[in-house]
Amino acid sequence: MEKIKNNKFVKIVGFNRLVLMGVIVLLYILFAVLTPILHSGATFVSYERIMSALNYAYFIGFMALGVTFVIATGGIDFSVGPVMFASALISGFCLTKYNIPLPVCLLISLLVGLLFGVLNGYFVAYRFLPSFITSMASMQIAKGIGSVFTKTQSVTWPGSGSANSWYRYLVKWNNIPTGFILLCLVAVICAVVLHKTKAGRYMLCIGSNKEAVRLSGVNTKKWEMLAYVICGLLVGIAAIFYVGAYTTVQPGLGDTFNNEAIAACVMGGTSMAGGLASILGAVIGAVIVALMQEGILAMGFTISYQYVLTGLIVLAAVTADIMSRKRKN
Amino acid sequence: MGEVILTMKGIDKSFPGVRALDKVDLEVRKGEVLALMGENGAGKSTLMKVLTGIYTRDAGTITYEGREVTYHNPREAQADGIVIVHQELNMMGHLTVAQNIFIGREFKKGPFIDDAKMNEEAKKLFERLNIHIDPRATMSDLTVGMQQMCEIAKAISHDAKVIIFDEPSAALTETEIDRLFEIIRSLREQQMGIVYISHRMDEIKRITDRVTVMRDGAYVGTLITNECTKDDIINMMVGRVIYEDPKTESQVPEDAPVVLKVDHLNAGRMVRDVSFELRKGEILGFAGLMGAGRTETLRAVFGADPKESGDIYLNGKKIQIKTPQDAVNAGIGYLSEDRKRYGVVLQKTITENSTLACLGQYVKGPFIDGKKERKAAKKYVELLKTKTPGVDQLVMNLSGGNQQKVVVAKWLVNNCDILIFDEPTRGIDVGAKQEIYELMNKLVKEEGKSIIMISSEMTEILRMSDRVVVMCEGRKTGEMDISDVTQEKIMHMATMRD
Amino acid sequence: MNKEKGGFLQKIDLQKVVIISVLIILTVFFSIASPAFRKYTTIVTLFGYMYYILLMAIGVTFPLITGGVDLSIGTGLVCYSIVGSYLINHQDMPIWVGILATLALGTAMGAFNGFVVSVLELPPFITTLCTMMIARGLGSILAGGLTGVWPAAGTEGGWVRSVFRMTLPGGTIIPIGMIWMLILIVIMSLVLTKTRVGRYTIAIGSNREALRLSGVRVVKWHVIAYMISGFFAGLAALAYGWTFTTITPGTGAGFELDAIGAAIIGGTSMTGGKGSIVGTFLGVLLISLLKTGLPNVGLQANWQQIITGIVLILAVTIDMMRSRKR
Repeated sequence: MEKIKNNKFVKIVGFNRLVLMGVIVLLYILFAVLTPILHSGATFVSYERIMSALNYAYFIGFMALGVTFVIATGGIDFSVGPVMFASALISGFCLTKYNIPLPVCLLISLLVGLLFGVLNGYFVAYRFLPSFITSMASMQIAKGIGSVFTKTQSVTWPGSGSANSWYRYLVKWNNIPTGFILLCLVAVICAVVLHKTKAGRYMLCIGSNKEAVRLSGVNTKKWEMLAYVICGLLVGIAAIFYVGAYTTVQPGLGDTFNNEAIAACVMGGTSMAGGLASILGAVIGAVIVALMQEGILAMGFTISYQYVLTGLIVLAAVTADIMSRKRKN
Repeated sequence: MGEVILTMKGIDKSFPGVRALDKVDLEVRKGEVLALMGENGAGKSTLMKVLTGIYTRDAGTITYEGREVTYHNPREAQADGIVIVHQELNMMGHLTVAQNIFIGREFKKGPFIDDAKMNEEAKKLFERLNIHIDPRATMSDLTVGMQQMCEIAKAISHDAKVIIFDEPSAALTETEIDRLFEIIRSLREQQMGIVYISHRMDEIKRITDRVTVMRDGAYVGTLITNECTKDDIINMMVGRVIYEDPKTESQVPEDAPVVLKVDHLNAGRMVRDVSFELRKGEILGFAGLMGAGRTETLRAVFGADPKESGDIYLNGKKIQIKTPQDAVNAGIGYLSEDRKRYGVVLQKTITENSTLACLGQYVKGPFIDGKKERKAAKKYVELLKTKTPGVDQLVMNLSGGNQQKVVVAKWLVNNCDILIFDEPTRGIDVGAKQEIYELMNKLVKEEGKSIIMISSEMTEILRMSDRVVVMCEGRKTGEMDISDVTQEKIMHMATMRD
Repeated sequence: MNKEKGGFLQKIDLQKVVIISVLIILTVFFSIASPAFRKYTTIVTLFGYMYYILLMAIGVTFPLITGGVDLSIGTGLVCYSIVGSYLINHQDMPIWVGILATLALGTAMGAFNGFVVSVLELPPFITTLCTMMIARGLGSILAGGLTGVWPAAGTEGGWVRSVFRMTLPGGTIIPIGMIWMLILIVIMSLVLTKTRVGRYTIAIGSNREALRLSGVRVVKWHVIAYMISGFFAGLAALAYGWTFTTITPGTGAGFELDAIGAAIIGGTSMTGGKGSIVGTFLGVLLISLLKTGLPNVGLQANWQQIITGIVLILAVTIDMMRSRKR
C-alpha cells in the first residue's frame, strides 16, 4: 500500500483521484449490468449514452472548476446553476430576438457570469457577508433577472444545421467530444493558476488562514474577490457548453446544478474548510456526477433520486473531511 | 489546617507525541489555599482538566472525600462540589449576569424560568462576596475584572467544596486583586479547599498556605509557604539555580537614530494617546498587565486595526499606515502572540509561509519561481536553525518554537527592518525560549534590525529590553531605560490608574 | 452602567421603529399607487402569503440564534405537505394521520439536521443545503411524483381550508389564521425568553463552549433548536397546503430565503446570540407586503425573486456592519 502511494505518478495525480477514476469504471460496470435488469429494453453500453453523459459533465465540470476556486478560499458559491441559466438566457435572447452576432452573444454570456462573480465577490470580500447567504441571494437575483429579461419565455439557441450554430462544435464536432478536450484544456489552465501563480497561492492560503495572510501585508480582499470573479467567468463558459449541448434554456431553474457542482468538488478532494483544492478532482467529480445522472435515468428512475443522492454524497464527503481533520489534531 | 479532602495520585496523561502529565501527585486540604506552580506548559492546567473530567487520565487515582472518583465531564465534578474558575473567561456575552451565573440550573416557576428569583439570588451572592455588580446587566457590557468576579460568584454558588482558580489575577487591577484575596480568605474560613494556580510570586506569598510545584508535566515537590523563600520555589520550578540575568544597561549606542516614532496614537478604548520612539538596534520592551492595551497599540501601528488619530514617522518621515500592506511595504513586520491564528498558515509548507509577505519578488512572468522561493526558505531555515526535515514540511508539524522561527523568516525574507514581537515565547518550551532570545539579540546586533517586544513575563522584559515602556488601561504610564528598571517600578506603573 | 443599558434598549426599539415606519410608508405608497391594493382582498392575499413564511421564519429564528442556519425548510415544506396529502388522497388515511405525518417528517428532518450539526460538527449551511436537496427529491419519490392536494372545502376533511380563512355566508373571507399566528408569536416569544430551550439557544449562539463547561448538555439543546425549526417547517407545510390549492413537487427552493431574510431584518444576527420573535414577525410583514404590493404597481412575480435577493443582501450587510462595530 505504502509503495503504491509513494509511486511518482500516483503522487502527482493523487491517490484519492486514482481511486475516484476507479469509481468511474465501477459505476459504469454497475450501470451496464443493472440497466437491462431494472429497465427492460434499455441498454447502458452505447456511444450515445457516453456522449450524453459527457454533455452533462461539461457544464457541471466548468461550474465545478469555478466553485473550486471559491471553496479554496474557504467560501462557497450556491449561485452557479441559476447564474449559468441567466447567462444562457440573456445571451440567447440577444442572439435570437435582437439578432446580435453570435461571438458577441458568447461574450455576453461570459460577461453575465463575470458580473455575478463580481457581485458575490464584492459582498463577501469587501462587505464581510457570509458567502453562502450572499450567493443564495444572488441566486434569487439571477433567477429573477433571467425571467425578467426573457419575459418568462424559454430561449432556444439555433440547432445544428441552421445558421449561427457553429458554437455547437465547441461541444461536439463530427462525433468527437470536443467539449471534453476543451474542458481538460481549461482545467489545465485552472490548475496552473491555482497552483503556480501568486493569485492561486494567496487564494489557498486565505482559505487556510485569512487573518495570517492579511497580517503578512497581503491585500486579502482583492484576492478573495478574484476567486469569485474567476468562478463567475467559468460559469459563463459553462452556459455556452450547456446551450451547446441542449440548446433550450428555461427561466427560473438551475439551482439543482449548484449541488452537483459542489458535489463534484468535494468528491474530488477539495475541502469545504478551505485551503485544499484539486482541479483534477473537480473534473473527475463532474464526470461521476454526470455518469450517475445518466445511469439513474437509464435504469428508469426519476431525477429526484439524483437530488437525494447528491445531497447524501456531499454530506458524506464533508463528514469524512471533518473527521480526518479532527483525527489530525 | 484541616483534613485532606482531595488526593490525586500517580496521574498520567499523554497526548499524541507529548507526555503531558507524568505520575503527578496532588493533595488538597480543607480550609487551606494550595498554590499550584510551574512555568508555562508545566502541566498545571492539564492536571486540573483531568480532575474535572475534561480530559480522561491514562493512569492514577483521584480520591475525594474518602472515595475514589472519576468524572466524565465538568458537570459531574461540579455536582460533587469541585468547581473551576477558568483562566479564559467563559461567559455568554448576550445574557445577563444572573443568567450567566445560574446557567444550567435555572430557577423555574411552572414551565418558565424565574428570572426575578435568579436576580435576587445573584444579588445575595454578590452581597456575600461584597461585590457590587447589577445582576441584570448584560455580561458583554462589564469590564474584564467584573466578569472575572461573576465567574467566581458562579463557582461559589455551586455549593463548592473545592475551588480551583486558574490564574485568576492575570487580568485584574490591584484593587480587584485585593478584593479577590478577601474573597479567597473568607472561603478558606468556610473550610473550603482552594487550589490557586499562578506564577506571580508575590501573590503566592500573600495568599497561599502550601505550594506544590510542577515541572515539564511532573510533580516536583510541595513546600509550606511560610517556611520557604521565593528562590526555593523558583529553583524547583526551573530546576536550576541560575535564574536568567537581567540586562543591566542599554546596548544601544547613544547616537542611534530613531527609526520609528509614534505620536499621540488613539485607537478605540484600549489605545489612548500613546507616543513612543524606537531607535535603531534597540529592543524596546512593552510591559504591563494583560489587557493593558499593548497588543492593541501595536496592532494599530501595524495597520491591523483602524486608528482614530495619531501620526507615525519612519526614519523621520511621516508615513500613512492604514492596512498591514502599508506597514509591510514600510518594512515593519508583526509577530503575533497567537502564532497559529495570526502568524502562520498551518496547513502550508515552510516555503509557502516564508514567502507569504513578498511573493511578488518570487515570480517569473506570471508564475511562481519555485526554485528561487525554496532557496530563500532554505537560507533562513539554516540561518535561524529551524529544526525541520526540509522546507516542504507543513508548518503544522513543527513545534511552537520552530513555528515562531518560520514567522521570523517570513519577515526576514521580506527584509523588514522593524519587527514587532508580541509575546515571543508564549507557548514555547524552556529550551527553545533560549534560542528565540539569542535570535532576537542576533537580529539587533548583527542584522541591524530594531525590535519592539511585548511581554507579560517580567523576566523576559528585564532580560531582553534596552528600554521599557509600561502601559495600563490603554495609556502609557511610564518609560525607563533598562538601567533604571526594577520589577517594583514596572508593577507600580502597570497598575497606575487615573 | 444603567445609562448604557438604557442606550442599548433604545437601539433595539429604534430598529423596530424603523421597520414599522417602513411598513407604514410602503402601505401608504402602495395604497396611493394602486387602487387594487386598497381593497379588502389584499389583506386576505397578504395574510395568505404570510402564514407559511411566518411559520418558517419563527422556526428558523432558533437555528439562526445558535449561530447556524436552516436552509432545508423551503423544499422541506413542499416535501412534507406533499407526503402528508399523499397519505390522505392515495393511501386512504384519515386526515389527522396526514397532519401528524407532515409535522413528524418536519421534526425528524430538524432532528437529523441538529444531529449532524451538533454531533458531527458539520457547518450548518452545508448540512442543511444537503438536506434541502434530499427533501427536494424525497417528496417526489415518496409520493410517486404526484402533485399534493389537501382536501378541498366541502369535501371530507375540507375543514382544513377554513383553519386559516373562514368564508362567511355572504362570501366574505375572514383571515382567522392571523389569530393563530398571534397566539404562536406569543408562545414562541415566551419559549425564547422565558424557558430553558430559549435560554440555551441564545447561550449556544453566544458561547457554546462556555455553556458546555457550565455542565449543560449542549448537544441536546442544539438539536432541539433545529427540531423547532423542522417542526415549524411542518406547520408551514400545513399552512401552505391549506391556503394554496396544489403543491408541485420539486418546488420550494427559495422559500427559506424569505424566512431567513425576514428573521435578519427583524434583528436576528447571523453571528448568533441575538434575535426576537416579534422582530421576525415584523420582518415577515415587510417581505409579505412587498410580495403582495409590488404586483399591484406593475412588478410581476419575476421581480419578487430579485427583490428577495436584494432585501436579503441588504439585511445581512446591515447585520454584519453592526456586529463588526461591536
